[in-house]
Amino acid sequence: MSEQTLRRIAIVGGARIPFCRSNTLYADMTNLQMLTTALQGVVDKYNLGGALIDEVTGGAVVTHSRDWNIAREAVNGTTLNPNTPGVTMMQACGTSLQAAMGIGAKIATGAIECGIACGTDTTSDAPIVFSKKFSKRLIEIGKAKGTGAKIGQLKGFSPAELAPQPPSTNEPRTGMSMGQHCELMAQQWDIPRDEQDALAYESHVKAEEAYASGFMDDLLVPCNGVYKDNNIRADISKEKLAELRNAFERSDRGTLTAANSTPLTDGASAVLLCSEEWAAARGLPVLAYMTYSQHAAIDYLAGRGLLMAPTIAVAKMLDRAGITLQDFDFYEIHEAFAAQVLCTLRAWEDADFCKEVLDRDAPLGSIDRSKLNVRGSSLAFGHPFAATGGRILATLAKTLADKGGRGLISVCTAGGMGVTAILESANAAEKQIDIPKAA
Amino acid sequence: MTTTNTADAADAPEAPPLTGARSVLDLKDWTLELDFEDLAWATFNREGESANTLGRRALEEFEQIVTWAEKAAADKSARGLIIMSSKPKSFISGADIREFDELKTEKAVIEGIKKATDILDRLEALKLPTVAAIHGYCLGGGMELAMACDYRIADKDDATRLGLPEVKLGIFPGFHGTVRSIRLAGPVNAMQAMLTGRMYRSGAARGIGLVDKLVDSKHSLRWAARKAVLKKQKSSGASTAQNLMTKWPARGYLAGQMRAKTAEKVREDHYPAPFALIDLFENFGDDERRMKAAETRAFAPLMISDTAANLRRVFALSERLKSQAPKGLAKPQRIHVIGAGTMGADIAAHCVASGMLVSLQDLSEDALKAAQKRAKKHFKKRLKKKTAVDAALARFVLDPKGDHVPRADVIIEAIVEKLDIKQKVFAEIEPRMKDGAVLASNTSSLPIEDIAEGLKDPGRLIGLHFFNPVPQLPLVEVVKSPVSRDADIEKGCAFVTAISKFPLITKSTPGFLVNRVLAPYMMSAMEKYEAGTEREKIDQAAKEFGMPVGPLELADQVGLDICMHVAEILGIEGGASEGSRTAKLVSAGKLGKKSGEGFYVWESGKPKAEEKTYKKSELATLGKELVQPLLSECEACLADDVVADADLIDAGVIFGTGFAPFRGGPMHYLASTNGVKGTSATASTNTNDGDTTNDGDDDKSDRAAA
Repeated sequence: MSEQTLRRIAIVGGARIPFCRSNTLYADMTNLQMLTTALQGVVDKYNLGGALIDEVTGGAVVTHSRDWNIAREAVNGTTLNPNTPGVTMMQACGTSLQAAMGIGAKIATGAIECGIACGTDTTSDAPIVFSKKFSKRLIEIGKAKGTGAKIGQLKGFSPAELAPQPPSTNEPRTGMSMGQHCELMAQQWDIPRDEQDALAYESHVKAEEAYASGFMDDLLVPCNGVYKDNNIRADISKEKLAELRNAFERSDRGTLTAANSTPLTDGASAVLLCSEEWAAARGLPVLAYMTYSQHAAIDYLAGRGLLMAPTIAVAKMLDRAGITLQDFDFYEIHEAFAAQVLCTLRAWEDADFCKEVLDRDAPLGSIDRSKLNVRGSSLAFGHPFAATGGRILATLAKTLADKGGRGLISVCTAGGMGVTAILESANAAEKQIDIPKAA
Repeated sequence: MTTTNTADAADAPEAPPLTGARSVLDLKDWTLELDFEDLAWATFNREGESANTLGRRALEEFEQIVTWAEKAAADKSARGLIIMSSKPKSFISGADIREFDELKTEKAVIEGIKKATDILDRLEALKLPTVAAIHGYCLGGGMELAMACDYRIADKDDATRLGLPEVKLGIFPGFHGTVRSIRLAGPVNAMQAMLTGRMYRSGAARGIGLVDKLVDSKHSLRWAARKAVLKKQKSSGASTAQNLMTKWPARGYLAGQMRAKTAEKVREDHYPAPFALIDLFENFGDDERRMKAAETRAFAPLMISDTAANLRRVFALSERLKSQAPKGLAKPQRIHVIGAGTMGADIAAHCVASGMLVSLQDLSEDALKAAQKRAKKHFKKRLKKKTAVDAALARFVLDPKGDHVPRADVIIEAIVEKLDIKQKVFAEIEPRMKDGAVLASNTSSLPIEDIAEGLKDPGRLIGLHFFNPVPQLPLVEVVKSPVSRDADIEKGCAFVTAISKFPLITKSTPGFLVNRVLAPYMMSAMEKYEAGTEREKIDQAAKEFGMPVGPLELADQVGLDICMHVAEILGIEGGASEGSRTAKLVSAGKLGKKSGEGFYVWESGKPKAEEKTYKKSELATLGKELVQPLLSECEACLADDVVADADLIDAGVIFGTGFAPFRGGPMHYLASTNGVKGTSATASTNTNDGDTTNDGDDDKSDRAAA
């Protein structure tokens, strides 16, 4: 076997459709349509019509059974070479970031030259199914021979069986929603309401500013007549935020509201990653490099906090990179809830947590908050689960291309998992990383 | 960055060569392949054209395909015939209109038609399953071919449209399509499709029975067609209830209703085709054999009529206008409109309804709010679906400070007609614009070069002159000043076609083309009114000639104050001179529709004209007198090079004023009545894609035909 060296993972850039609150402007769209539009956005942006991409990887969290092969189906709807394979996978809210990590690893080892990581989600077109009992009855009716036998299968039927089973994003083992879990975290870490509201406020202000400055323009592809995320409130005010009622915990203990939590959102995103050689051959820009990535899980069932796993993933990743939490120019910490971000930051500052959970003698410490989510984050843009990673990758890569430096991505997911990555601009990557270059 | 709005890519080849199929006929416009399952695939890909039309050779080759299929059915060497297209947006867009002009006599038409009807009758009689698998335009003769198949499958792609728009060209379906459409869709739906010429999306076509099966994407067409052949699927045709409507007395009643409805829109003496179609249905609607023969008999005289020739001319002119926009320019996405008055607001709303993101700038918050309210009404009417209306409202951005200027692809100024104010606005905008953006003024009275004077780069300013009401009028004058750059004019034309309107490049002279020819026409009508001719008589006479509205009613719609202003700019005296009835109306604040009274009292958007009848011959004479000033001014415009040639004058005046389309345009009318040369008989069709119809904004087609 020939000796293998690792190659750098280039991020060319991404495109996404504007995110919309569920049951609003994309109410008539399907996951497949949205994902196809986002993919085609990347194809058009980087002139990939007819190009063979080594793999397109991604998926959706809330999905119909007909979409079992959605990544490949989306490829078929674009102008990409029809021989482009599609891999459908899912890791909840970390889906498109995990997709990028997988593609990145294959690029690094030389298994592939290029890939598109993508994700889509809609709760406007959520699958609604019959109860298990009724589904089973239908199957038996189908199998039965003769009308009499078929009618016989209806024995003991009760109309209650017809009650549709709406999709649930609740945690199966706790029966609690993300919001209820995060509410517990906020109480556990004693995160006050006003801090959460302040983070939400900043997110909207920064997101609106990103639009106004034109920063967002080439990150978006219009879809269904929509040009801009419809969750961003340009006219947001701290007073209005303070007036909102609790969303998950009605008692005084509650601090999470509709504004400091992300709404159910529809959207899709896609990001092109490749080897430097491939980018050069096609004359494509490299905005940034993905230098490290890591995922981890936390035993939330034992009460550690459902959305705390990114703390572990980041700690491990920092060790591998040999840098500290403070060695970043930008932090992209996905705002599933303002409280999630604030709990994460608090945990990194907390000596006990860092000792017990991260097995560290000293806490990771604080970050410079002015470097956090500088273009806004999910509280403003919304959070179509599987699409969020792609949004963050493209946003951070573009920011690094503009300003240079190093950025941290941290995404919490359902099931108590965290998916994280480090992106670096060309200069920063040269300086910091001692991966041997391909000969 | 170019972006796409559609989920599916439109420009990939639709039907790449079949793997493992062998070609069984050597053809130029078609391929005929037999695959290893013994399915025969006839793929239409007309050589050298971007759209498929049934030209002579294409039809002859299709006859060879049918002949081959007859043999294959007899010796069982094929199991079915599937008809597809490999053009990106055209299944079969229709017959080849360019060949129509060669048919000079009824005899020639009948002979030509017989060839086609024989081929389609043989296709229908084939003893093997036939399926049309439709993506893109399936119109006119193409729809007739598809209807002769056993089964029709269409994809849900946005580019797929089906219909029988022949009536817009002064004819009706002539390949026995009247018979087949009634058989498939029933008389109510089929006659409606043929009388309106409407283009249906595949879902709607499925709804009325013109399509039997829908598939989600074009990729599924081939596979659904295969299945249909193997299952020997046949269209079930119209329901029994529908078929009953072809029997007496229902048929007579229906015909009467259709006649009344059609007469509301067009006059039989100007547009005979829809009425002839209704007669055909009334006389033969329940007897296919006799209806087929009668279809050809009634079709032939229509085909060689002046009306049909002139409507073909109008179609060719519209194609010529569209062709002024160079292909391949990125479609503008962000439009900035300055001035939230009626014109600015309506331009903004129209761009939004065309899918663009529009920022509307005005100093007055109230004006912006009012514009938003108007736009909302417009969106509800035009877009209907709630999500589409909501998305449109989100694309309609109120921008009091002009923050969106630096990101706009097109900037249109529509503020008060004062030179110094306009110059000031442009001076502020110019340094903030992005490179390559179009900078335009909607002025109707100021020379573009004067407005451009203060600019650092005066060459980039062009005029984009819209007409009121913006949603209805299909023309936009693209005004070229002596310093305007050609590249910017081209971009202006591309923008105009992107909002589904026709661009007309005009010189920057007072009134450009449309207002310049309309003003003397309206002023002379006012003179006649002043001299004592009844307003009803004047307006009826103009309609008798073929104008869409009479000149006095039009003046009321435009606003009498504006008419006087335009007349003043153009230096036209008379009509509205001091002390005249018109001048008195203006000074009394009776400005027309907008104030509730002008020449007429207006109630709920309609003028209250008295019921009066005049002799037809009198109206005809008066009508000709009324348009005479317009005709003379057209000649003057040609002499002044306001537009490049006489055909463009006709195009501008037809689409800008509604000038009697069946007369082929003012210059053509002059030429045909006085023997004056100047316009080509049919306006050279220098279009390259020969779609038989534009993209289906029904509003503007209404004025061409029923």
